[in-house]
Amino acid sequence: MNTTSKKTDRIKLSIAIITPVIILLIPKTWFPIQNLTVIEHRVIALFVFAAIFWILEPVPIYATSILIIVLELVFLSDSSLYPARGEGENFGVVMSHKEIMSTLASPVILLFLGGFFLAMAATKYRLDQNIARVLLHRFGENPKWVLLGLMIITSFFSMFMSNTATTAMMLSILIPVLKIFPAGDKAKTAFILSIPIAANIGGIGTPIGTPPNAIALKYITGATMTFGKWMSFGVPFVIVMLILSWVLLLIFFPAKTKTIRLSITGTFLTTPKAILVYITFIVTIFLWLFDFIHGMNAYVVAMIPVGVFLSLGIINKEDLKNISWDVLWLVSGGIALGLALEKTGLAQHVIESIPFESFSPYVVILAAASIGLVMANFMSNTATANLILPLLASLGTTVAGLENVGGSQLIVLGTTIAISLGMSLPISTPPNALAHATGEIYTNDMSKIGVMIGLIGLIFVIILMIILQYINFLT
Amino acid sequence: MEKLNIILIEDQREVLEAIAKDLEPLEDTFMIEECESAKEAAEVMETILTQGDYVGLLISDHVMPVKSGVEFLIDVSKDHRFPHTKKILLTGLATHQDTIQAINNAAIDRYLEKPWKSDQLIHYVKQLITEFILDTGIPYEPYLDQLDKAILFERLRKTT
Repeated sequence: MNTTSKKTDRIKLSIAIITPVIILLIPKTWFPIQNLTVIEHRVIALFVFAAIFWILEPVPIYATSILIIVLELVFLSDSSLYPARGEGENFGVVMSHKEIMSTLASPVILLFLGGFFLAMAATKYRLDQNIARVLLHRFGENPKWVLLGLMIITSFFSMFMSNTATTAMMLSILIPVLKIFPAGDKAKTAFILSIPIAANIGGIGTPIGTPPNAIALKYITGATMTFGKWMSFGVPFVIVMLILSWVLLLIFFPAKTKTIRLSITGTFLTTPKAILVYITFIVTIFLWLFDFIHGMNAYVVAMIPVGVFLSLGIINKEDLKNISWDVLWLVSGGIALGLALEKTGLAQHVIESIPFESFSPYVVILAAASIGLVMANFMSNTATANLILPLLASLGTTVAGLENVGGSQLIVLGTTIAISLGMSLPISTPPNALAHATGEIYTNDMSKIGVMIGLIGLIFVIILMIILQYINFLT
Repeated sequence: MEKLNIILIEDQREVLEAIAKDLEPLEDTFMIEECESAKEAAEVMETILTQGDYVGLLISDHVMPVKSGVEFLIDVSKDHRFPHTKKILLTGLATHQDTIQAINNAAIDRYLEKPWKSDQLIHYVKQLITEFILDTGIPYEPYLDQLDKAILFERLRKTT
């Protein structure tokens, strides 16, 4: 088995390397774009490189992100390798190496860093488990309501913590009590599936809920997108999707057991440090929501918990090593890719060359969201967002009538939400993989519910966009 | 996917085969090496290292000719090239003194008495391999089905 998997690995790597090289070797005039510059040609190859590497994963997805940054610096920047340099109109516009490097510390990355600090402190001081304990208690012992309780708690946590960490926590609470379901009681499937579903959906709720939101924030620039504004549509959408999923789970996997008791042990810590964690958590969220009172935007606010937790020793040197730098760098690479499309002028150039004006804006929206949804089912949600969102952002005003449906920024938003709804396979998201790995559910049960949530969710996304457009949300 | 090895060390052929048989369910995911002496095991570990693969777990008998299991495990724990390698001592004949040695100087992770129960053995192996993978930072996804879920979930909830 090891030899065959090594062989497929080698084939994957070869395809992934050869294809972008072929793109580079094709004469510029063969591309259906007028006056393609040398630099733009390289950006096309870079984009193909990124897409293939993120889809086939011959190297980890965060490594691909860093490779994008390295390739941009070496071949596309103002400090590139001598043989890669050139001059003249035909050569094109190079990127600033400082700008490429600063993607690693762009505001959205630091926003996520702040989110990571909050999540890490909350887990370290057992705030997450204690909140889960107190909340779950209120949902009684009727399986129907306990299921709803689990889903609400999971999605609430995943708005602030990573979807994976939330799933791991909730599954570790759930697994020990699964024995109480008699053999053949489908409710067991409902309970296990509810966790990844609620975690995936919950990520939509806040800007820091899931990495694709960070990339979306990057492209929703013209309009003022604040933390509170995101939550004002994100949370209602999460609630609607949760109710839908809950009803679906109840219909397909009804419980035979009359009562279920989930017990989580523990008490709230009352040490000075723990209390500081609670206060910082609440104050940070308050500052995020009421930026119009104090003037600091979400990115600036995110740095406050970082400063507080480090200086008080709540997050120490050892904890710093456990920050998911891979997730941050995965997003950075996506931002760097978007930067290349924009700064070299390729995005604008491509848009001008394709007769978008002949497309109906509604077709564009439906296509973008559907492609996002389908891709996210088979590959990393963040990588999907990294590839699609910069393209959508540059659509701009080229599609006639697009402004009637909210312009490209609203499409970016809708597609981002659709990406989070890709959850029909164990490989779709890490939460799905963890739930599947419990060995207690069948893949086709996951797919059945996942496909329904994806398709109905897509309709809800379109409805949400129509509503947001109607109330002029982004202006 | 990285090649992860589990090495069994036991001088009695039929016991060695019995352990290997218990671990059969893991064969598709991990490489299981059977060794009849500490010397052979050391050589196998050397080869694995030169191939760039991992020694995830050692399951060793204690009473063996030339070098005892505890002595061998002490060697391994002093070897800085195997910082995360997990160790199970599987024996029926260790003295009190051997056991103290095994815990203090070989830092063994589990102690199993012969005759062992196969589900217990599998459980320990899964637990330790899970810890090894998470300690080493190898991507855990390819091994997901064979990992100990309680340990995996507890470690993942601490990630950001």
